[in-house]
Amino acid sequence: MSNDHDHDHGHGHGHKPPAPMVEEISDFEALEIAVRELSIEKGLFTAEDHRRFTEFAEHIGPTPAARMVAKAWLDPEYKKQCLTDGIKASLAVGVDWLNPTGFGTPSDYTDLRVLEDTPTRHHVVVCTLCSCYPRPILGFQPEWYRTPNYRRRLVRWPRQVLAEFGLQLPSEVEIRVEDSNQKCRFIVMPVRPAGTDGWTEDQLTEIVTRDCLIGVALPKPGKTSNIKLPVHKAVNPAHH
Amino acid sequence: MSQHDRTHHAKIATGKGDPQCFIGTAGPAKFKVGDRVRIKNLPDIFYTRCQVYSRGAVGEVAVVTHESPAPEDEAWGHVDHSEWFYIVRFKQKDLWPEYPDDFPNDTLQTEFSERWLESV
Repeated sequence: MSNDHDHDHGHGHGHKPPAPMVEEISDFEALEIAVRELSIEKGLFTAEDHRRFTEFAEHIGPTPAARMVAKAWLDPEYKKQCLTDGIKASLAVGVDWLNPTGFGTPSDYTDLRVLEDTPTRHHVVVCTLCSCYPRPILGFQPEWYRTPNYRRRLVRWPRQVLAEFGLQLPSEVEIRVEDSNQKCRFIVMPVRPAGTDGWTEDQLTEIVTRDCLIGVALPKPGKTSNIKLPVHKAVNPAHH
Repeated sequence: MSQHDRTHHAKIATGKGDPQCFIGTAGPAKFKVGDRVRIKNLPDIFYTRCQVYSRGAVGEVAVVTHESPAPEDEAWGHVDHSEWFYIVRFKQKDLWPEYPDDFPNDTLQTEFSERWLESV
C-alpha cells in the first residue's frame, strides 16, 4: 500500500470506478466455450449439432417426464413399466434415451429409475457431487439444483430445505432422499392429488411441474408453474 | 500428444447406452436386495463418487442396479474391469447423529460399486 495520502481519493468528488469493459462471465462459461470450439475444430461434433442439441435441451417442456407421470396415473400397466424399465417407458412419451436429440449420441447415462411416492413416503432427488439429472426427459437443471447450498443441505436437513420450497410434510410421512451419485438418473412419481377425478392426460401433465418431478413440490390442481425463488438485489451493483 | 482414443467410450456405448454396454462383464453379484452392508472407508486419493458422509455407515441394499466399471477406474479410462452397483438405503439417523428424533422414518438412498460394501 502506498503511504502517500496527499492525493485525493475522490472523497466527496463523486468518483466512479471504471466501467467494466465486458460483461462478466464465469470461469466455467469460458471453459465451456473453449472446449466447445476445440471440439468443433477437431470434428467431434459440428456447430450445427451443438445448436440443435442446445435448442432441444432448452425447449423441452412441458416435460416428457410430466407426461410419463400423467400416463402412469391413468394406466396401471404403463405405471408398472415406468417402475421396472424407465428407459423403455420413456419411448411412450417420445424420448429415446439412446438417441434423444435425433443426431445419434447418447447425451447421458441411460438408466432411469422412477421413484414412486405413496401417502406415507415422499422422495426428493439431489446430486451431492455435481448436478446429475435426467436431462433427456426433464431438460436442463434449474440453477438452484446445481448450487452447493442445495446439494450439501438436502441430504442432511431435508425437511428444512423442503420447507424453504414451501413443502412441509407431517412426521408420519417418510422423506426419502435419493442422492444421484452414479449412473442412475431419477424422477419422482408423486401421488395423484385429490380433485383431479376425470381429468385427461393433458390436464394432468400440466400440474406435474419440474419441481414435482425433482420432489421439492407436490402437484396440486391449478398449480402449473415452478417455484420462483426470491432474488436479492445486489447491495453494491456494478456501475455501467 | 496423447494417443488416448477419446472416442472409445462413444463407440462402445452408441446404440446400446451406458451402463447397458457393460452387461455381463461383472460376473455374479455379491449382494442381494435386503442384505445389510457397511460402507468401507477406502482411500480415494484421485477420484471417487463415494461420499464421505456414507463411510462407515450401515444400510440395506435397496436395488441391485447394473454393471459398470467403478468411477475410480473409469475416470482414468480403465474400463476393462466391471463391478455390480447397489443402491443402499440408510436411516437418516445412522448417517447424521444429530438428525431429529421426531422423524425416525426418514431415509436416504445412494449408490455404490461393490468394492465399497462389506457384509454386516
